Amino acid sequence: MVKRVGLVGCGTMGGFHANCLRQIPDCELAGIYDIAEEKRNKFANELKVMPYGSYNEMLQDEGIDIIDICLPTPLHKEYVLKAAERKKNIFCEKPIARNLEDGKMMVESCKSAGVKFMVGHVLRYFYEYAKAKEVIDSGGLGKIGIVRATRGGAFPHASNEWYADSQMSGGLVLDMIIHDFDFLRWCFGDVQRVYAKGMINKGYKFIDYALVTLRFKSGVIAHVEGTWALPGGFRTRLEVAGSKGLLNFDSKDSMPINIEVKGTGGGGGVAVPESPLKESPYLLELRHFVDCVINNKEPDITGKDALKALEISLAALKSIETGKPIVI
Amino acid sequence: MVKLGIMSFAHMHAYGYAECMNRLDGVILAGIADDNTARGRKMARKFRTKFFNSYKALLDEDIDGVIITSENSRHREMVGMAASRKKHILCEKPLAISIKDAQAMIDICHANGVKLQTAFPCRFATPAIRAKSLINEGRLGKVLAINGTNHGKMPGGWFIDKKKAGGGAVMDHTVHVIDLMRWFLKQEVVEVYAEVDTRFHNIKTDDCGILTMEFNDGTFATLDPSWSRPAKSFPAWGDVTMEIVGIEGVLSLDIFNQKFSLFSEKEGKENWVNWGDNMDNGLVEDFVNMIEEEREPSITGYDGLKATEVTVAAYQSAKRKEPVRLPLE
Repeated sequence: MVKRVGLVGCGTMGGFHANCLRQIPDCELAGIYDIAEEKRNKFANELKVMPYGSYNEMLQDEGIDIIDICLPTPLHKEYVLKAAERKKNIFCEKPIARNLEDGKMMVESCKSAGVKFMVGHVLRYFYEYAKAKEVIDSGGLGKIGIVRATRGGAFPHASNEWYADSQMSGGLVLDMIIHDFDFLRWCFGDVQRVYAKGMINKGYKFIDYALVTLRFKSGVIAHVEGTWALPGGFRTRLEVAGSKGLLNFDSKDSMPINIEVKGTGGGGGVAVPESPLKESPYLLELRHFVDCVINNKEPDITGKDALKALEISLAALKSIETGKPIVI
Repeated sequence: MVKLGIMSFAHMHAYGYAECMNRLDGVILAGIADDNTARGRKMARKFRTKFFNSYKALLDEDIDGVIITSENSRHREMVGMAASRKKHILCEKPLAISIKDAQAMIDICHANGVKLQTAFPCRFATPAIRAKSLINEGRLGKVLAINGTNHGKMPGGWFIDKKKAGGGAVMDHTVHVIDLMRWFLKQEVVEVYAEVDTRFHNIKTDDCGILTMEFNDGTFATLDPSWSRPAKSFPAWGDVTMEIVGIEGVLSLDIFNQKFSLFSEKEGKENWVNWGDNMDNGLVEDFVNMIEEEREPSITGYDGLKATEVTVAAYQSAKRKEPVRLPLE
């Protein structure tokens, strides 16, 4: 039976999701909604999909099985609670919420409504990260000592510059390196202690940067660098060092395609590297969720996982604010 | 012509310094003293110089200065011997294993009117010099943060004997990058937090950690000094890298990245062959020039002490599980 999805939020991530949802058999992108009418209509026109006039209208549509929420973080709670009330299954972009109380309420509401709920910690579906976990789990690296991760690029600009408002976004510690925190927790279990330094709330406009040290209960030490201070591009790195081996990759070195085309007049072209894959990690995560809804399975990434990742991010933010290590 | 001696070949960096002395004009390696007689004799033959079976005998020679490359814990004693015989000193890093020792070394050199230079060869690495000039020219704007590494392989021997080395990986691999950070930023570290552990090897000292520092202008930095490179399979000894983040841009420094890959059938692995400038040359040359020109050292005993202080604070922080303020009492 085909599951029909209502997509909320017509920003960058909404576009990604729409594209992926259309590639999933047994799934139909039924309609979209965004509070900004112009943006919503443009998106609907481009994707040839129906725009709903309001979120309530979307929720009242009995034909909608799944709500996919691609909104700024502080809006997650309201949209999730409303959808749960209408017994819709919910896929929600990360981070789950801006604070733990909201997050817990969202998880509880979905549970008592009996609907599926999954948060988009998509790194678990990135091929190089999933493969790294396989190697770690196989014991090929021996006992893990130090893990180093990097993620970042240029400062993101989105609707109303919400990323620049730390009260809304929590900066890159909450919005971006929560990906690494979730991945690391998936690999190494729960975190005991967090110490971090960062640029958030230091009065610099459109710059964020953080260096976070995690000490896991298992003893593993992880160092996570998050940057929104680069002039452009996007880069990720992972290094896992163990007693029997060392694994590392850098996204800039994993580009099987690099095209350089001469600019008009012969010179001044730009190089465009690419790492093409048949199925994007976003497609894999959304297809998994649709499969969970169809076959009544528990999603790979649980509400508890999303809350635990949030807890690490919030501890890092608190450490930056207080200058103290935070015990979880 | 400047005449120099080497006191002890316990630290492998002595090889590089001896090679430099034989290569450079204006300097003579006048002798080697080592309490490990077999090692000392072998090295004296290798570098075509005289062997002295006591440090005193070497210091009684007509030499201008010495390079001390003993075990870390013996630096203080050796500096004391050399200073009291009026020899200028280039001392291997870390300058000392405690702040008390470092201060005593600075004091005895001062009292005897001899110069004490700390061996931080990274300051003579051409890519580091270029990075410093780009930063100081203001190309990055104000520097906000630095993400540094000085990875290595577990060296074994006295390096994992706490009595001789004063610690493990954190003692061995903190000071180079801390010194570069101080040199680039012209700021002092005011706070250190560290997670330190032994996770890779079955040894009694630490072999890994992550240090977090804050400087007095608010710049923050981390440093990974771990012996985390696999002994047999990693293509190099380790690395010195810094990701330097400024308001206007980011500079990535990877000091040993002037290299090519060599895939060796004999060794069954890849090796990185470095073809960049030799930093030890610059260090030894600078020390020789300092003696000739009778000027102050470009890297002082105080620089050595301040880097040591961060190391000591890192161990304190790891033990207390909280940040430690500098300067230490």
